[in-house]
Amino acid sequence: MHREFGKERRVAIPMPTDVRPAKLEQGEEPEDETATQPAPRPVDEQPKYSFYVEPIKLEERPRRFLEAFAAILKYSNYGQVLDAYCRVGAKCSVCTASCPVYQATNDPGDIPCNRSELLLKVYRRYFTLAGNLKSRLFDYFRLTNEHINELAESVWRCTACKRCKYSCPMGIDHALVTHLARWILAELGIAPKALVVSVREQLEGKTHNTSAIPVPALKDTCEFLEEELEEVYPGAGIRFPFDVEGCEYVFFPAVSDYLLEADTLMGNAAMLYATDTSWTIGTGNFDGIDYGLFYSDRMWERIIKAQVAEIHRLGGKKMLIGECGHASRSAKEGMANFIPPAEQLPVVNIMELAYEKFRAGELSLIADAIAERTTYHDPCNIARKGWIVEQPRAILRHICQDFVEMEPKGCDNYCCGGGGGTVSIDEIREFRTMVGGKTKADQIKATGAHYVVTPCANCKKQIDEVIKDHGLPQVRTGLHDLMLKAIVLPNGQKPIVQEEEE
Amino acid sequence: MEQLLEWVRGPLFRFAIAVMVLGLIRLLILNGINLVSLLRQSQDKKLPAKVIVRDTLRWVFPFTRVPASQRFFTLVSVAFHLCIIVVPVFLAGHILLWEEGLGVSWPAVGQPVADYMTLFAIAAGLLLFARRVSTPLTRSLSRAQDYALPLIIVASFVSGYVAVHPAINPFSYDATMLVHAVSGDLVLVLIPFSKLSHVLLFPITHVVSELGWHLVPESGRRVALALGREGEPV
Repeated sequence: MHREFGKERRVAIPMPTDVRPAKLEQGEEPEDETATQPAPRPVDEQPKYSFYVEPIKLEERPRRFLEAFAAILKYSNYGQVLDAYCRVGAKCSVCTASCPVYQATNDPGDIPCNRSELLLKVYRRYFTLAGNLKSRLFDYFRLTNEHINELAESVWRCTACKRCKYSCPMGIDHALVTHLARWILAELGIAPKALVVSVREQLEGKTHNTSAIPVPALKDTCEFLEEELEEVYPGAGIRFPFDVEGCEYVFFPAVSDYLLEADTLMGNAAMLYATDTSWTIGTGNFDGIDYGLFYSDRMWERIIKAQVAEIHRLGGKKMLIGECGHASRSAKEGMANFIPPAEQLPVVNIMELAYEKFRAGELSLIADAIAERTTYHDPCNIARKGWIVEQPRAILRHICQDFVEMEPKGCDNYCCGGGGGTVSIDEIREFRTMVGGKTKADQIKATGAHYVVTPCANCKKQIDEVIKDHGLPQVRTGLHDLMLKAIVLPNGQKPIVQEEEE
Repeated sequence: MEQLLEWVRGPLFRFAIAVMVLGLIRLLILNGINLVSLLRQSQDKKLPAKVIVRDTLRWVFPFTRVPASQRFFTLVSVAFHLCIIVVPVFLAGHILLWEEGLGVSWPAVGQPVADYMTLFAIAAGLLLFARRVSTPLTRSLSRAQDYALPLIIVASFVSGYVAVHPAINPFSYDATMLVHAVSGDLVLVLIPFSKLSHVLLFPITHVVSELGWHLVPESGRRVALALGREGEPV
């Protein structure tokens, strides 16, 4: 049914040159390889993925895949889901019109229905009675190394934007199937190294965050931001409070914001100051990122538990997520799924909070403070189900003189092309920006806007790269970056707008 | 021939109905068990009923949020579904059969309405089939049943139509009726065993897709234990 793996890709994914030569033959110990460096296999036989993976055990992969699959089916809910899905797939092709990756590649392997079929086929053969019977009667499908490789490639071309779920008449959630497939593969060691290394640092490293920022460096950064804020609001004394016990909100931005998004954080702090919100940053765990959502429920659960433990340590009442789509969704769903009801806390995205305060009249924003044309990109993880769509728009319509929409927008938006954790995988940048991000680039171009606002650490990095690789003139920014030019402090003090650095 | 026709319309038809009903009951039980265990295992037991009803109805009446390039065929498909449900159930001739077999009856649609709907079902069925074979994209998606089912359904409608319009029927009444009854019985038998099971599973899939994200606490730790990876570094 499918093209052979790696042979007919119409868009070539740049292959990392230093991918570790991997072998498919049984009996060869991968540990040996580092010591003796045996001659590399012919290229055709190597499982080469477009993303780096750490050294993986290569022997008996189909058996180990099935063991992992069986264990997951046994202890989770996925079996019930696959059971329904593998009966009803109508192969109607409606999803082809909604998948940005397929639209850019025209490769049948990128059709959501075909991608899910790769896993459903394995389920049908090994975990249903009919598959069992068929395999005894005919020469039926058998799980091979090639199939595992094809699946591994396919699920990481998907950005898990969930658009196809809403264009499937049967209601099949292909993102859920992809989510499961990524977990099974991760148990075999097939997961992008970029994500695994980050999670390792977050769970087992000294710094407990994905960017490996030590606490002194974090405090230094925040001190610097406080000084910068002093220039915007002289004399106001806006602070980044650390380890304050009993606050209403404990703040978890995507930790990369501390490295890359100074204006977003300053906007966050200014908004929280202006609304007199009691909040704090916990030095034990200050990272909202949860890559478990992208590749492993096992990690998802461990990470959210560590985050919630930090809130309880500080006696906080609510979990406040910064401008980040996946952090918001992984916290909200993770809280409901994994945290015992007695320990559960409300999860609030900072834009929700800003909007509530703005609507209640507690946050004063200068109307029409932004003269340039502005547009808004919805991060999939918070917009697809309609959670956060209108809140940032209400604020933007107020502070911008010329706010324009992309088409389609809101729940129906297109992914930036870097969703589902793919934005962290630098080796597939060309694929991300030129294929996955092509639709988004066209959308951005069509608005003619100066500012592209996106309140998500993933989307920010991706859209920066899309703008650069497509040579677009737009400036990417966050919501609070713009709000920083419009927030009026309770004493009536207005911001001194800083000159933009180009 | 007449005897064969009687056999197809009598015992074979009853057999087909029995297979369909029992098969659907089996699917209902299996999926009922699945749904109950989904809810029992997951920690988040809230059933987002509003979302599920909205998403399901969106595809019963697919007039919003359908990608522009798919709108025409979506409408064709909806009309096709409507015709192939209404005509077999509400045709006067069929109601007689139902009455004979089950002892119940209901009002029929007028013959001209049934005629137009039949013609439309044939045209729409052929159109959907043509679309499936016409592009490499749809061919890459299609399995054997995707080609066979529309043809079997169209065959039952064509034979049914010419059987009640002797003027345009080049074959004998009995022969066309035989084709009609056999293809009709075949569709009934295939319902529980093919993608036609969506007659029952359509709403269930929408529920499953929502509940599927209600994950099981501790599932990760148990999986790690089962695989002997508990305590292994990340």
